[in-house]
Amino acid sequence: MRKIAVIYGGNAHQHRTFYETKYRRYCQELIYLPELHRMSLDDYDVVLIPSQLHQRLLMESQSKLIDFVQRGGVLAGLGAQPTHLLPGHGWEFRPTNFWWWLDRDASSGLVANKPDHDLFNYITLEDATWHYHGVFHPPAGVDCIINVEGGGTILYVDQLTTSGTLILTTLDPEYHYGSYFMPATERFLNGFLPWLAGGKLHYHR
Amino acid sequence: MTAEASLAGKAPRFVVLDSGCYFSSRESCEKVLGDDVLVLDTYRLTNYDLNPHACLVIDGFVDQQFLYEKRERIQQFLDRGKMLIFSGNLFLPWLPGASLFVPKPIHSHLDYVVSIQGSHPIFAGVDANDLTYNKGVSGFFARGHHPVPSRAEVLLTLPNGEPITYIDRHSTRGTLLVHSGNNLLGYNDPSNTTGLIGKQLKAWVEEEYRLIQARRETQ
Repeated sequence: MRKIAVIYGGNAHQHRTFYETKYRRYCQELIYLPELHRMSLDDYDVVLIPSQLHQRLLMESQSKLIDFVQRGGVLAGLGAQPTHLLPGHGWEFRPTNFWWWLDRDASSGLVANKPDHDLFNYITLEDATWHYHGVFHPPAGVDCIINVEGGGTILYVDQLTTSGTLILTTLDPEYHYGSYFMPATERFLNGFLPWLAGGKLHYHR
Repeated sequence: MTAEASLAGKAPRFVVLDSGCYFSSRESCEKVLGDDVLVLDTYRLTNYDLNPHACLVIDGFVDQQFLYEKRERIQQFLDRGKMLIFSGNLFLPWLPGASLFVPKPIHSHLDYVVSIQGSHPIFAGVDANDLTYNKGVSGFFARGHHPVPSRAEVLLTLPNGEPITYIDRHSTRGTLLVHSGNNLLGYNDPSNTTGLIGKQLKAWVEEEYRLIQARRETQ
């Protein structure tokens, strides 16, 4: 099992999600964001950055996080990433359509780009389907796992941009689960965290 | 308005704590900007003097671990006859008189139906259906409650009477409004009757603050 540290902002939805027993067991440590600047990340294999963290405090530890991934660590980021905290994501804001599922012939527009990726042994495409706040345009050659019809990806694994692994998704499951909203987000976390802890991150064709 | 700009003129009535995250800055801060609002980074509470302001506004994205460390400052602020509006799910006891959030077990979308109790100026003209439903979907407004302190005035409830919004005038020498959903001050959308809430809440704070100050002068 990889040792996962979660950056924890002290807010209600992160408290509910990461102190939930079935998820807490995958998290070796919850690092309180205001203390991140003086904490060592050396003991961890994975650092998980949830959405909805205090952006200024997070940016103050940017070099620490980049050093961690450049030493071969795995950095996983959840939720919208409008800042330049992590390199290479090519974020593009898209107005959120919360209501696509009410339309006739409803389609989320999400596509399993690599249906044989190990992540899909842990979640289904439906488990990753609620809404998204934007898309990524990462460098060519990275493993885009869930794409959006018409361009962009919402979940990818990048082992090219740094010496380590960047796993970025525009999805914010910990926010919705922690806010008691949207059942798919629970199914996503039920699979995503075990995959992060023990699954194959690298894609073998 | 920034903290620095406010020093030059009359202090804004409201201090809205910016939780610093993407959703909070957008939903709680940008939506309520105005001459009567000062947006303050949460972590500046450590040494910022709140005294010139009437009402502290805190949303559900806030770092509650930090507010728990600052709970005495919050109590002292209220005991000076001030006001506090909290919208969110409480998981640490930093808010005077308040109990921790209790999520509602959901069996059907009807479990989310909101009722307005009596008539209160904050919700005058607001259709309870507009609180419950957004494009026919319920569950956005509140998904649980905070058990109320004694003598609280309950404004909104869920179907089993769970109080999702209440006013507490007795736990401190000021007034608290506690709501278990999104920032109430941010309801300003004119296309819906819920858009009345933001302005009416501000007007209620003005009147409530005037009454608190009048009461203190006679004590």
